[in-house]
Amino acid sequence: MPQTVRVFTARRILTMNTSIPVATHVAVREGRVLGVGGTELLHEFGPVERDDRYAGKVLMPGFVEGHGHAVDGLVWRNPYVGFYPRRDPAGVWVEGLKSIEAVIARLQAVERGLADPAAAVVAWGFDPIFFGGRRMTAADLDRVSATRMVMVGHVSGHIQNVNTTVLERCGFSRDSNLDGLVRNGDGDLTGELQGPAVMGRASRVVGDAGILRAIDAPALWDYARIASRVGVTTSTDLANGLNPENVAALQEATLSEGFPLRLVPAMRQRDYGLEEGIARITELKRMSNPKLHFGLVKITVDGSIQGFTARLRWPGYHNGAPNGLWYVAPEELGAIVEAYHRAGHHIHLHTNGDEASELATEMVGRAIAAHPRPDHRHTLQHCQMADAAIFRRMASFGMCVNLFANHIWYWGEQHRALTMGPSRAQRLDACASALAAAVPMAIHSDVPVTPLDPLFTAWCAVNRLTPEGRVLGAAERISVTQALHAITMGAAYTLKMDHLIGSIDIGKHADFAVLEQDPYDVPAGALKDIGVAGTVVGGVPTAG
Amino acid sequence: MSPIPLSVIGGFLGAGKTTLLNHLLATAGKRYGVLVNDFGAINVDTALIAARDGDTIALTNGCVCCAMGDDLGAGLERLAGRDPAPEHVIVEASGVSDPWRIAQLALIEPGFSLEPLVVMVDAAAFLGQLTDRWTGDTVARQLGFAELVVLNKADLAGDLAPVRAAVHRLRPEARVIVAAQGVVDPEVLHFVPPPRPTPSRFVADAPAHGFMTQVWRPAGSLDRARLRAALEALPRSVLRLKGFCRLAPDGTSHLLQYAAERWAFTPQAGEPGFVLIGTPEMPDATATAALFGPTEAA
Repeated sequence: MPQTVRVFTARRILTMNTSIPVATHVAVREGRVLGVGGTELLHEFGPVERDDRYAGKVLMPGFVEGHGHAVDGLVWRNPYVGFYPRRDPAGVWVEGLKSIEAVIARLQAVERGLADPAAAVVAWGFDPIFFGGRRMTAADLDRVSATRMVMVGHVSGHIQNVNTTVLERCGFSRDSNLDGLVRNGDGDLTGELQGPAVMGRASRVVGDAGILRAIDAPALWDYARIASRVGVTTSTDLANGLNPENVAALQEATLSEGFPLRLVPAMRQRDYGLEEGIARITELKRMSNPKLHFGLVKITVDGSIQGFTARLRWPGYHNGAPNGLWYVAPEELGAIVEAYHRAGHHIHLHTNGDEASELATEMVGRAIAAHPRPDHRHTLQHCQMADAAIFRRMASFGMCVNLFANHIWYWGEQHRALTMGPSRAQRLDACASALAAAVPMAIHSDVPVTPLDPLFTAWCAVNRLTPEGRVLGAAERISVTQALHAITMGAAYTLKMDHLIGSIDIGKHADFAVLEQDPYDVPAGALKDIGVAGTVVGGVPTAG
Repeated sequence: MSPIPLSVIGGFLGAGKTTLLNHLLATAGKRYGVLVNDFGAINVDTALIAARDGDTIALTNGCVCCAMGDDLGAGLERLAGRDPAPEHVIVEASGVSDPWRIAQLALIEPGFSLEPLVVMVDAAAFLGQLTDRWTGDTVARQLGFAELVVLNKADLAGDLAPVRAAVHRLRPEARVIVAAQGVVDPEVLHFVPPPRPTPSRFVADAPAHGFMTQVWRPAGSLDRARLRAALEALPRSVLRLKGFCRLAPDGTSHLLQYAAERWAFTPQAGEPGFVLIGTPEMPDATATAALFGPTEAA
């Protein structure tokens, strides 16, 4: 006895399916798309259940976040103190804080609410770049508490601010002259900590490693709630150690009734020896379920551009900072890529700087030459400074790219002024060049580094605006159609899931994003303002 | 309790760090505690393994070997907390990291005393690595603050003179020793070799690597600002300075640890006196006294 057929009607359905690009009706059975079309669908499958709840809405395939971190569901257990407004897992907008005073006031309110006198105040998402050069100091945070430990993480993840109590308990003083302890003109510590060495010590002393805590099933549920509100029905978790505890949490969440998200965790390669890692990912692939897809392996090649740890080619950093760091030695990268490629796995490589992208492309090319394998879909993640020549080479090897389009808005001005300079910054996240070279392309948020919101990411790629109102690299703008493809089929392709998700097509999962407006009916500058009413995952409507 | 000597061993991929560690563990004359970057590469004779628990291997000779993980400080704390505590802790830096960034942390890690920063070099591959477009700057950066450079794989290298010249150009202050298959005398890991229980008059007392040491005892309390200025003025030939002093105005005793333009002083009781360690070019005792003195009356 086949299950009931439900037909959703909509004002318009943008299917991203090349056979039937636009429709008004979609038939669903057993969680999959049975038919796409018009009113004829009401009669094609015998008796059907008609569902008009989206009759005034526009449906698209559920958005696919090709580079996110499920830890976004965890960070909200601590107060958010960022510059931009951001929605918490309950859907409440948390106001952006436009001055250090405002940050202090929020932290003071948090402090007043703490019953345990020994509890620390730990906040995340701080971003001082629009405060006219004013940095937060230990004295600022001492106003939150002179006795409790207070620690504020920057949104970039590379800097922390702490109060005097934390400095003292870490043994950091004016007389600890170590790299990473920022000083003022008088030689006193400002309370700003940079780099993993001193930050790691402070996190250990505070006893709250913030985003380093293990993600449990409730945090995954919170991440899924955040995703549903912005139309995301599939998200990567890039990367995850995937130890038994991590896997248990992923399975508990994805197998629970009505979990509204498909998760695609990538195994963090550096947590494993080579043979051990290959055995682990092989084993994990057999543990997938319809909402949990194992198979990706993530390798981190360099650091970040704004942290000056990305590896750049000539002429290096615009402000003269020394070149960044390899997180894996070049020849070791070659061996790792070759081993995973040869064993038939799917590799995603974090490369921020163009030298890292060049190296990763070279190593993938060598692996392919030694062990030819079609359709590997090895993908460069971020790949922020690649030029046309690198994209052409990637295309020749059959590689994919996932560009960090949100950077144009969030750090574009910084890249223009400090890291890349005005002319090189034009090719930051060069979407048009990637597409011109025929590299399959996705675009991403790297949530929680920037908020999860694919329509915003698409808006960035289409408009390339900075907060100063500048267009950064007008020639790299892409069309609305290209951007919508990137956040659906483009991302699905880089995950080798384009046969399952990314378009509304017969046989695929019935995963939809429910929009208030048709992206083609609004000006390109308003793409980010389109309301999202929720999602449908496997034919089941979820709350927006 | 006297601080545990701590060695940081850096060097590019393939320089022989793991080989050196495997050799030290297998032939250990004392309880080493080792934090390694690549846990899977540790390869000791199975007969030597007493227990294996996740990312820790305990050996029958009392040594223990752990995976470093993401937080060096946590790893050091774990090792120091073992019973019995290791007699010497060795940290293996990753093949692409700057070992000096790691070593600095030991200046503020209570209970440890930082020994020479060891950087291993694959003598046969070094010159090629330095000119490689992808690795050149990383390899050069690793040498930047090295105090003891081990030219490993010397047996495969042929003429060592150009290798020595390249090392000298990058870090003239470093002492250089030559090794094959990662075999070094464990004593070279110390600035000042531990006293031998039965000194033999047939063994030279001076360490083979030629670091110079000097002791300076402040007569009374030191002025903080003056001390800072003196530390800032130390020439690069002074590699280390460590010891206790009293600081004005209240005369509280502090432990001072200085290494390569970085330092920390932390309140701790001890007999006043600094040991300076450096290259043969370091200032003589008179110059040192002039730099740090005069002292105020206690």
